[in-house]
Parts: sequence; C-alpha cells; structure tokens
Amino acid sequence: MASPAPSVLAAMGVTKSYGDLVALEPLDLAVEAGQRLALVGHNGSGKTTFIKMAAGLLEPTSGTVAVAGEPAGSLEARALLSYVPDEPVLYDDLSVLEHIEFTCRLHGLDDWEDRAADLLSLLGLAARADDLPSRFSRGLRQKTSIVLGLVRPFSVLVVDEPFVGLDPPGRETFVNLMEEAARDGACVVVATHQLDYAATVDRCVGLRDGAVVYDGRPDEIELPSLVG
Amino acid sequence: MANARSCQQALADLRRARRRRRVADFDFMEALYRAYVAALFGGAALWWLALRVGGKEVGAATVGRVAVDGPQIAGAVVAVALAIGLRSGGRGGPLALEAADVRHVLLAPVGRRAALRGPAWRQLRFGAAWGAGLGAVVGVLASRRLGGQWPAWAASGALAGASCVDAALGAAMAVSGWRLGRRVAGVLALGVLGWSAADVLVARSTSPMSWLGQVLLWPLRWRPGAFGGVAFAALLVVVGLIALGGTSVEASERRASLVGQLRFAVTMRDLRTVILLRRQLAQEGARRRPWARIGAGTGSLSGRSRTPVVGTSRATRTGARRAGRGGEHPAGPTYPGSRRGIALSALWHRGSQGLLRFPAARLARLALLGAAAGAAAEGAWQGTTPLVAAAGLALYVAGLDVAEPLAQSVDHAALLDGYPLARGAVLAGLFPASAVAMLVVGAAGVATAVGMAGGGTRALAVAAVIWVAASLCGLAGAIISTVQGPPPLFSDSDLMLPPEAIGAKVVLRTLWPPLVSTVGVLPVLAVRASSTDPVAAAVANAVPVLVLVVIVLVWVRNRERLHAAFDLALGRTAAGGRVPDGRGA
Repeated sequence: MASPAPSVLAAMGVTKSYGDLVALEPLDLAVEAGQRLALVGHNGSGKTTFIKMAAGLLEPTSGTVAVAGEPAGSLEARALLSYVPDEPVLYDDLSVLEHIEFTCRLHGLDDWEDRAADLLSLLGLAARADDLPSRFSRGLRQKTSIVLGLVRPFSVLVVDEPFVGLDPPGRETFVNLMEEAARDGACVVVATHQLDYAATVDRCVGLRDGAVVYDGRPDEIELPSLVG
Repeated sequence: MANARSCQQALADLRRARRRRRVADFDFMEALYRAYVAALFGGAALWWLALRVGGKEVGAATVGRVAVDGPQIAGAVVAVALAIGLRSGGRGGPLALEAADVRHVLLAPVGRRAALRGPAWRQLRFGAAWGAGLGAVVGVLASRRLGGQWPAWAASGALAGASCVDAALGAAMAVSGWRLGRRVAGVLALGVLGWSAADVLVARSTSPMSWLGQVLLWPLRWRPGAFGGVAFAALLVVVGLIALGGTSVEASERRASLVGQLRFAVTMRDLRTVILLRRQLAQEGARRRPWARIGAGTGSLSGRSRTPVVGTSRATRTGARRAGRGGEHPAGPTYPGSRRGIALSALWHRGSQGLLRFPAARLARLALLGAAAGAAAEGAWQGTTPLVAAAGLALYVAGLDVAEPLAQSVDHAALLDGYPLARGAVLAGLFPASAVAMLVVGAAGVATAVGMAGGGTRALAVAAVIWVAASLCGLAGAIISTVQGPPPLFSDSDLMLPPEAIGAKVVLRTLWPPLVSTVGVLPVLAVRASSTDPVAAAVANAVPVLVLVVIVLVWVRNRERLHAAFDLALGRTAAGGRVPDGRGA
C-alpha cells in the first residue's frame, strides 16, 4: 500500500484568542501537496484568522502551524508559502512591473520576466504594467496582487476571498492558475464564500465560530449549510 | 531561496527607486513655502520665548539649588520618556512600517533584522534630530535664566535631548524585539520611574536618567561621570538594533494600518481621529468593568422615555409632580417629569459611566498631565512666564481625554439626533461629569505646585482658587476643539476672504482652543504681579476665567442655532445642509 503523501501545510491544536474572544478553537489540519482545499464559513468563522496564521501574519495563541515542517512565519516557511490577501496591499509609488521585480528579487529569482509577462497577459494587465496600482480600480489592484502571489516560487498557496472585485474573465483565469499550481504540486488553500468554487475543489473544510464543523469532499455535504 | 546579500541589494534598490520617484514628484515651491512658514512661526515663537524667559536672571542661591537638584529632576523627564518607550515596545512599537512593507518585505524570505534595520535607523535619526533640537532650545532658554554661554547650553541640551529620545527608542525596540509583552514592559517602566523618583527624593544621581540630566546641566557643573548617561543611551540603541529581528509581524501589521490612518488624520488636522487612533495604537480601550458602579439612571434619553410611563427613580417622580403643576412643553409629548432635570440626571449618569471606564493607563496619564500643569504653573509663579503656556497645554491635552463622553456624542451624531433634546443641550449637559473629573486632574496639579512651593496654607488657598478656574478653562478649550471638529477643506465663507486671510483663519481656528485653555492659567501671572492680598487677587482674577467657561458652554449649547442665524443673515442654507435644531430650547 502506498504511504500517504506528506503534509505540506499542517496545523496542530492551533488556537487564536483576542482577550476573551476566541477567534479559532483548537484546529488540526493537514493539507497534502497538490491538494486544493476550500475553507468555507460565514463571516467571523475563523477562515481569515487561519489563513493569516499560515502566512505568518498572525501568531497562534497556542499550537503550531507548519509549512513543510517549518514553523509558519520562519524564513524557510516564507520562502515556501505565497499569500494572496483579500485586500490588496501595494506600494503607492511602485509600478506593477517594479512590484514584480522587487518581489522576484526578494525570492532570489533571476529569470522572472517571461513568467511575469505571461501572468500579466493572462490577467489583462500587460498594457498597465508600467502604471501605478495606486491609480487602479479595486479589481485591477486585486489582479496585481494575484500576479505578485503567483510570480514567485511556492509550495503552498493561501488565498483569502480571491474573487472579490474580479470580473468573470479574471475570476476564470485565476481559478485556472490555481488549478495549474495544484497540478504542479503546490497545495492550494482558498478561504471563500463562493460555493460554486468550493464545489470544484478536492477537499472542503467548514468552519463555524472558530471550530471545524465539516472536513471532507465537497460533494458529500450541502455546501449552503456551511455558510448558513 | 535568495541569499542575504541579494535580498539586501533588492531592498536597497527598492528604496532608491522610491526615492527617485519621490524626488521626481517633489514640488520645490511647496517645500519652500512650508519651510518659510515653519521658519516664520518657529522663529517668532523662539524669539518670544527667549525674550520672556530672559526677563530676570535668578540669584546665585537658586543657581546652586538647580545645580544640585536639577539633574535628578531633568532625569525624571528622561525617565518618563524611557517609560513611554518601554510601554510602546510592549505593544510592538516603536517602528511604524508601511503596510506594503509588512506584506512584501516581512513576509519574504529575508532576515527580519536586516529588513527592519533601515526603518529603525531612519526612526533613530529622526528622533535624535528632534531630541537635539528640543534640547538645544531648552538649553538656550536655561542660559537666559541661569547664566553662562548659550552655545555651551545649546550643545549640552542637544546632546541630552538626542540621547534621551534615542534611549527611549532603543528601549522600545529591545522590548518589542524580545517580545517582553505589555506587563513586563509596564513593570520595567515603573522600575525606571521609581528609580528616578528615588534619585529626586534623596537628591543624588544614581540612575543613568539622572546622569543624562547632568549632561543637560553641564554648563552649570561639569561632571565627567555624566558620560555614563550618554553611554547608557548608546547601549540601549545597540541592544534595540540587535533585538529588532524578533519584532512581531502581527504587531507590525496592526501598527502599519493604524499609523497610515493616523498620518492621514494629522494631515487633515482631525484631532479627534488622531486621539482615537492613538488610543488604538496604544491598545487603550475602555474597561469592560467600570472602576465603580453608580446608580441606575432614569434612561430618559432613549426613545422609550417619550412614552408617558411614570418612572421609579426619585428624579422621575419629582419631575412627574412638577409636570403635574404645568409641564414646560404642553404641546409636545407628555414627559414623565421635568425634562431638563431628568435629562441632566441621565447625562450626568452617562458621562460618569464613560469616565469610570477609563483604563488605568489613561488615568495615570491624566495624573501626570495634572502634575505637569501644576509644576509649570509653579515655574511661572517663580518667574518663568512662558511656562503658563506649558501649563495651559497640559490642561488642554488632559481636557481632550476628560471630554470623552461629550466627544463620543459628537462622534455619533446619528445617536445624538435620536434624543428628544437639542443637540447643543445634550453636549452642554455632559459638561458637569467631565468638569468633576477635570477638577480631580487639576488637584494633582495643586498638590504638585504646593509641594514645590514648600507648602503653607496661603499657597494652598491661592492654588485652590486658581485650580478651579484653570481646570475648568482647560476643559473648555478641549471642548471647543472637540465640538468644532476638523476644519473643512473649503467653506462658503472662504469665498469672501483673500487667500492670506484663509491661512490666518486656519491657524486661528487651530490655535484658539489651546489658547482658551491657557487663559485659565493666566491668574497665576496676575496674582504674581499683584501687590494686594494674593488670595483676594486670585479670586478677582478667577472670576473672568469662569465667565469665559460659561461663555464657552453657552456657545456649545447654541452653536448650531448661531450658525443657522449667521447663514440666514448671509442668505445661505444651513451649514452642511443640516436643519437647525430647535427642539428643547
């Protein structure tokens, strides 16, 4: 019998509290390489908290989150995990291309131009590459953020509410890019309210008030019940 | 993964590219105008201060006393700065990164210490420049009263000031990098303050903070040992830079978000937003449990009170009897009692509830501001006239905190409109609770001033009279600032003014609240100059100040009506499209 694939992203008894408020109850989760996982739940259910802890932006109150065995937020984990936030955060005074160059150089990439050009073209940003994203619409800023998340190397891609502000072609392109990343061996974790997307992934984890209420295939549960 | 050298190079290139873009967008004329305005106002203020302070040189005995006690007292100021730094570090400060730096640099596989070194150095340089400038000004002013060569005073002041600010920043970086947390940082801050206080009490310089005080007073007495204070500051900076790598990304992101908003609010001169954001930055929220519980209010401010229900409280029953004798508003809804009495009771209750939820840190800050105002007033009494401005400013800042219940009502205008009372009446009705709190703050000032003066019944009587006037006037200035809000970007009345006058109008609008607060301390100067009985002079001079407080209250109560009348006279619609509120006159 084949041994199970090793977990690339693993949470062990991880919790997060803000004073008396518990944002995340003890959570155990292991995501394998190449797996596409959707985190589904209503507002305040703990999706973003978990995503941010995996990215190293939030520190767990207890428990650990590991990326390929390295603590989330460590130098090694940061090299392996790419995070696309729900709200794009970009420099006001750098063009799209300068953002890409900066990100790639921080990740030690020398030959980034071709990959960047492909992504810009796919997401319809090629003509705006020299523009400042501070003058973009919400959707274009989101696309810039997506390019920055995908242009660098990664083994884990965590994405928070990716479809907010995206037009249908942009959304379709991004879904395809995430699938491509999973086919290339990356584990893709997406926090979303979009149940049509959640229905297409390999695994669905439902969160309610910081606790896991479902963990399994999306076709084995009434998905609306997870956000109701 | 990228190696450290290439990452450093990428960061350096990023900063270069951004600087290039900033330079390209640089508006030379605007910068020149800003420098001109800063030089004009700064120079005028310095000139005035120097003239005022230089009025009277102190005697040899006082100089001797300053040489002995001064280092410890100056050290106490350094200790306060260090304590602020330690507390800031406990909350993840002092670095204020851009949100994009947190997301793109701190989440990249780059060593955190290397990534944060640049912003840390920038902050240290900026802090040292400000500290040196401030210290030099203090030194020059001291030279006018204490004698000696002003360049020597300026140099020692600059060194002490720069060391003080950078010591505080270094301590903050160390505490933040080592993740000592708020409690440990608080204990350390108390330790620093306690050590400095002990130095003041025993009149000996045993702490590095007092050594920095000795640096400030080098022109009076050269003490080579004071270099220990400078070395201590340098050590804190080095330790802070070493510890930088441990800085929390979570705290950095929270601070980045708040600091961005804070800068915008400062640009818009929106003082209230600045205060609220600063509180968030300091994680200074209202207590869930109040320090004390007060009796239940009548609840007459809620919409429910319109229902003619006989209340159970004494105030309501009394009001009901009065209403039975002929209510004030026969045409309106039937209220269960005297609306004014009930409303005042409810507003007092609401104000007290808010004040009793102040966190300990805010109470400590208020006590400190009160003490600082008292110390400054005593300094003015002793002859350093410009210290009245410092006392007024301290009371104004304290007033901004104490006026919180009123400020909350201004913030939530929609709630305010839901009450069956005029907006101005609600705001004015919130004054008594804040006034009582402000008198308590002022009491700390009285204790400090009387203690510094060496006690005595007469000093206490004079201080007590001035205390009431100064405290209430300090609050009045803060209330003006809170009620008037940030200046509009452009108002209709600006159309009638020449551009130069608009600038002066903006300056006046910004300055007059703290000026009103300062008026409350002016009786100190009047009593000092008076040849009659000091207590009688204090009473005579406190009366006009109290009249000013009443005028401010009347303005708060009728502000909207006055604006509406003014607009009507000019043939315009009501300001901001708001309908003048005529209820509950």
